[in-house]
Amino acid sequence: MTKKPILALCMTLLISAGPSVDANGQDAQAVVEASVDYYRGKASIALVDMIIHRPHWERTVTIKAWTKGQKDSIFTIIAPPRDNGNGTLKRGREMWMYNPKVNRVIKLPPSMMSQAWMGSDFSNNDLAKSDSILEDYAHTIVGIETHDGKKVHVIESVPKPEAPVVWGMQRLKIREDHILLSQEFYDEDLELVKAMTGRQIQMLGGKLFPKVWKMQRADMKDEYTLLEYKELTFKKDLPDSLFTLSALRNPRR
Amino acid sequence: MFSVDVKMALRNVWRNPRRSILTILAIAFASLLLVFMLSWQFGSYDTMINSAVKIHTGHLQVQAKGYQDKKNIRLVVSDPATVGSVLEEIPAVAAYTFRTNAFSLVSSRERTYGAVVIGIDPEKEAKVSNLERLIRQGSYLSADDSDQALAGKLLVANLQVGLGDELVVLGQGRDGSIAATVVKVKGIFSSGQDEFDRSTIHIPLRYFQDVYAMQGTVHEVVALGKSLEYVSEIRSRVEDDIKKMEKNEHLVVLDWMELMPGLIQAIQMDLVSGFIFYIILIVVVAFSILNTFLMAIFERTREFGVLMAVGAPPHRLTKLLLIESGSMTMVGIVIGIIAGSLITWYFQVHGIVISGSSELMRHYGLPERMFPQLSALSVSIGAGLVLVITFLTALYPALKVRRLRPVQAMMGV
Repeated sequence: MTKKPILALCMTLLISAGPSVDANGQDAQAVVEASVDYYRGKASIALVDMIIHRPHWERTVTIKAWTKGQKDSIFTIIAPPRDNGNGTLKRGREMWMYNPKVNRVIKLPPSMMSQAWMGSDFSNNDLAKSDSILEDYAHTIVGIETHDGKKVHVIESVPKPEAPVVWGMQRLKIREDHILLSQEFYDEDLELVKAMTGRQIQMLGGKLFPKVWKMQRADMKDEYTLLEYKELTFKKDLPDSLFTLSALRNPRR
Repeated sequence: MFSVDVKMALRNVWRNPRRSILTILAIAFASLLLVFMLSWQFGSYDTMINSAVKIHTGHLQVQAKGYQDKKNIRLVVSDPATVGSVLEEIPAVAAYTFRTNAFSLVSSRERTYGAVVIGIDPEKEAKVSNLERLIRQGSYLSADDSDQALAGKLLVANLQVGLGDELVVLGQGRDGSIAATVVKVKGIFSSGQDEFDRSTIHIPLRYFQDVYAMQGTVHEVVALGKSLEYVSEIRSRVEDDIKKMEKNEHLVVLDWMELMPGLIQAIQMDLVSGFIFYIILIVVVAFSILNTFLMAIFERTREFGVLMAVGAPPHRLTKLLLIESGSMTMVGIVIGIIAGSLITWYFQVHGIVISGSSELMRHYGLPERMFPQLSALSVSIGAGLVLVITFLTALYPALKVRRLRPVQAMMGV
């Protein structure tokens, strides 16, 4: 009788002490999840300027974006006028594009997913697999840094076996108040391919949020894409009918 | 007329006619085979290069620097007309044309594929490439067509469309704007080159420039020389002329080897494997010749002994044997060259049909009928090789004879 509690105690100790990496993994997973929840919110409406910078030219596209949960989003270009009305719908991991001039919807084939989206440094995959970081990767906290007096988790995310992803590793920096500061994408040889960094953290839509995102390929010094939030509103919910092919075709929002 | 040595040598050759004729025939056959095979190889390379060049790349192209590697829509030839006028002044240029390319989504009602949309000038293009002749269904573009397209046979099959059906094209213009249009399939082409048939559509150049906001610029100025030999000459002239012009410093001239590095690699691989075969062939011939020459000496040991005993110095025997083998070799090679050239010439006129040609050949869109190409090079390389090898083989017995001692030799066979 007296022996049993001790045995039980030993076992609990063993179980809790053994998988300390798992505990780290769970922590890391929680940090990433919290961060994704934080920046996606339940639903959001945003007005974004996308600035594509190239050595000899620059182009600014104004995009209105609606997102719902982690899976659905719809984007419509409202400026420049020549491209007004072009839309992209993402549901789950599928994407459709709409062009008002030819009045057709095209579903993006899997072979095109690694192509640039609208000529930017974002690929179609970056949009379509925005929830992939939660589902396809195992996370580990590899360091803690301090930025502006706040604790920042440095997390390395390695794809789970058989996860359908193109990256060999991602490296995230997430501040203790859930703000994603940077996301680096590495290939299978763990060479940096491109990186996205957030800047100008300020109040947007009722919470602190990086106003400007910069996406840059590692091998391109003077080429990058900026996303600058002009407006951002977080919503409790948005109707499902907003994320449909007919909504893509008729941008009457 | 002949010296005693030559007379003796010729008599010796004729003393055993069957053996001599067999030796001559072996040499003749080897040179015949080499002449034909080399002509065949050179001919097939010519055909390969010319047909690959005619399908798409042309003999040479003027492009903006870096375009060949990056295919970036912004890297353009901004003033194609002046480059055109440079080409017009070179007599060795047979024809030239302008092209624009953009990687885009091409979609039917059912399916979407990525493809290269190519803007072509229908009239000029017809003189440079085979595109017009490759149309299998429908018809080629005419000068005043606008939203019409020529699509590859495999692409059409993948998209499940036919003649007259609409294709939606969605890509990105030169200014970064979204380029979208709907075109009708006017013609379906099949080049046999799968990559080309699977992933290209052609639309009129002016329409392309409009849709993709090219503002009169093009990506490639494609030129075809009168024949392959003129390429380097045209190239250096165009390079010089372009350097002289202002605002054109960013342009480069690329020849077909730079445009299709895979083709030249395929040719090199084929050459190497060909030469391995020739070496094996020559080694076999060399051994059979060595055998006959050696046998001749073993049979004639006694004869040589007598010759030495009556005062012939060893070097004279060596000379005698070399004249014997040399005359047989010469006769063999001449017969081989004549017969080989005749056979090659016959096929050069009539061609050889290759049924079920290999994947590699189809990749470069080779025709079914191939023509060997008789040239001074293809004739002389083979004959020269045989000559050198037989001479080296004949040296061994000819030198061996010097070690004979008259008395022992006379007691031999």
